[in-house]
Amino acid sequence: MKHTTKPEEPPVEKPDAWWYKVYFAVIVTLVVVIALLQTFTYYFSN
Amino acid sequence: MRALDWAVVVAYLVYVIWDGIRMTKHSGNVEGYFLANRSLPWWAVGLSVMATQLSAITLVGTTGQAYSDGMRFIQFYYGLPLAMIILCITAVPFFYRANVYTAYEYLERRFDAKVRSLTSFFFLISRGLGVGVIIAAPSVILSIVLGWHEMTTIFVIGLSTTIYTMIGGVQAVTWTDVKQMFVIFFGLFVCMFVIISQFPAGVSFTDGLTLAGATGKLTTVSLSFDLKEKYTLWSGMIGGLFLFLSYFGCDQSQVQRFLTAKSVSEGRTSLLMSAFLKIPMQFMILLVGVLVFVFYQFTAPPMIFNQVEVGKVAQTAQYQTLKGEFDTAHHTREQAAEHFLKDRTDATKQEYLAADKAFNASRKNAVDYVKTATKNDSFNDVNYVFPTFVVQNMPMGVIGLIIAAIFAAAMSSISAELNALATATTIDFYRRHFKKDATDRQYVFFGRIATFVWGIFACIVATYATNIGSLIEVVNKFGSFFYGSLLGVFVLAFAVKRARPRGAFFGLLFGISSVWVASHFTDIEFLWFNVIGCIVTVISGYLISLTDRGGIDVVEV
Repeated sequence: MKHTTKPEEPPVEKPDAWWYKVYFAVIVTLVVVIALLQTFTYYFSN
Repeated sequence: MRALDWAVVVAYLVYVIWDGIRMTKHSGNVEGYFLANRSLPWWAVGLSVMATQLSAITLVGTTGQAYSDGMRFIQFYYGLPLAMIILCITAVPFFYRANVYTAYEYLERRFDAKVRSLTSFFFLISRGLGVGVIIAAPSVILSIVLGWHEMTTIFVIGLSTTIYTMIGGVQAVTWTDVKQMFVIFFGLFVCMFVIISQFPAGVSFTDGLTLAGATGKLTTVSLSFDLKEKYTLWSGMIGGLFLFLSYFGCDQSQVQRFLTAKSVSEGRTSLLMSAFLKIPMQFMILLVGVLVFVFYQFTAPPMIFNQVEVGKVAQTAQYQTLKGEFDTAHHTREQAAEHFLKDRTDATKQEYLAADKAFNASRKNAVDYVKTATKNDSFNDVNYVFPTFVVQNMPMGVIGLIIAAIFAAAMSSISAELNALATATTIDFYRRHFKKDATDRQYVFFGRIATFVWGIFACIVATYATNIGSLIEVVNKFGSFFYGSLLGVFVLAFAVKRARPRGAFFGLLFGISSVWVASHFTDIEFLWFNVIGCIVTVISGYLISLTDRGGIDVVEV
């Protein structure tokens, strides 16, 4: 495993618009995961 | 434990110490030692964030909790992804661009040195004691399971972690965390497959889940609004949100993780990695506990998992009577489970549920008897379920792997905490108040000494924590006093332009006082303390700031 110690070039930051899409994806994923968990519970409890 | 198991555990310990120590070449200057020269990739930081939060007591306690109470604990993590989004928008760019070493250093720029020192002081006290408990809890369990003396396990875990953290700094912490996460996941996967393979012939994985589901052990969403109910969707989404905001955004042990990332984008990605993976990971850990529950449907479980306590009462007539009742209850439940799986009707389900209820009542009677006979009201053997199961039922080699995974979970948390304690001591106190113009070498040397001293302090606290059961509760409550209120100070710093140093300082004290009042005079569950502490700190801090006409201007970072 290679361990880097110093960035060779200044880091390139992604634009805010890109991040807002990622945050939206996280929220959608959370909702889907909770729904899947609830389905899992319902399926095996009944 | 056989020779192969010991070999696995020893190989793990030797490798992790060697791997940590060899990082010393990257840690010659202050930024290298404390922040890895802000050079680490997002995936390493993300795994380190997760490893730091996953302590041994989380691993062992969560599986035990799933065995006895089911999967409802997973709701605790529902607020985490939302907390990560908020931190990605606020804390990560604020701290990163401020070029700070500690979260509290930022507070001096925004407010004054008093606010910085007070918050850093609270962090040092609560975390210093907290690390002791993080060492103590698995040490007690492993000492019983492995047959070691408690002091031996405390110092094996505490000192080995202190050595590589002291020498290798944050690089050692992060890269060993990465490897420790692989050990933990590999151990859990192997454990899960071995448990399923040990189900009786004709009982499949889904059959097992059907049994667990029938008893309500697979409940993952509760919509109850009861504030006295510990784990609900709302306590997780609201209380958990505040807790994770304060833990990941204001606790140096976590802030330091994302400050080591190469850029703001990499820091954000590392946090979002937890947002995506934390709930599935906890689901997997809880599922292991549920599978242990299913395994013990068809194999007689120990009536009491803590064998030390059993040794004190095993010869009494009442214990023997309870053991007879327990064995009968298990046999009845086993037959009822087989009937239910063979013929899935309402009648067989009710028969199984009645047998499970009788079994639980039988175990509760035994636990109550041990409490009375040993005069130990806080007796609870949930944390012993998983390690006892592993040692008694796993094949050779796998036992060593799981014990190594428990060590890995403990050490990954302890190393990050020790590193954060040393950083706050060096940067917030030594450099700020005692020696402002020392060389890099002197600061790194002091950081190493601070790591060592905190490591020894934590081991000493751990030796006391093993004897005083309630100390764990005291430290947890003290931590919850601190978290919400500290979050309130950062909310004032980030979001309230009118906030002034005096408001932040006294707001923090009011917030902590309000949590103390709530904990002593109400039955509100601890997750809500974080909400109370934060809200009181923000409101009182704001109101006090309004009276402060001579305050400083807002410093934009």
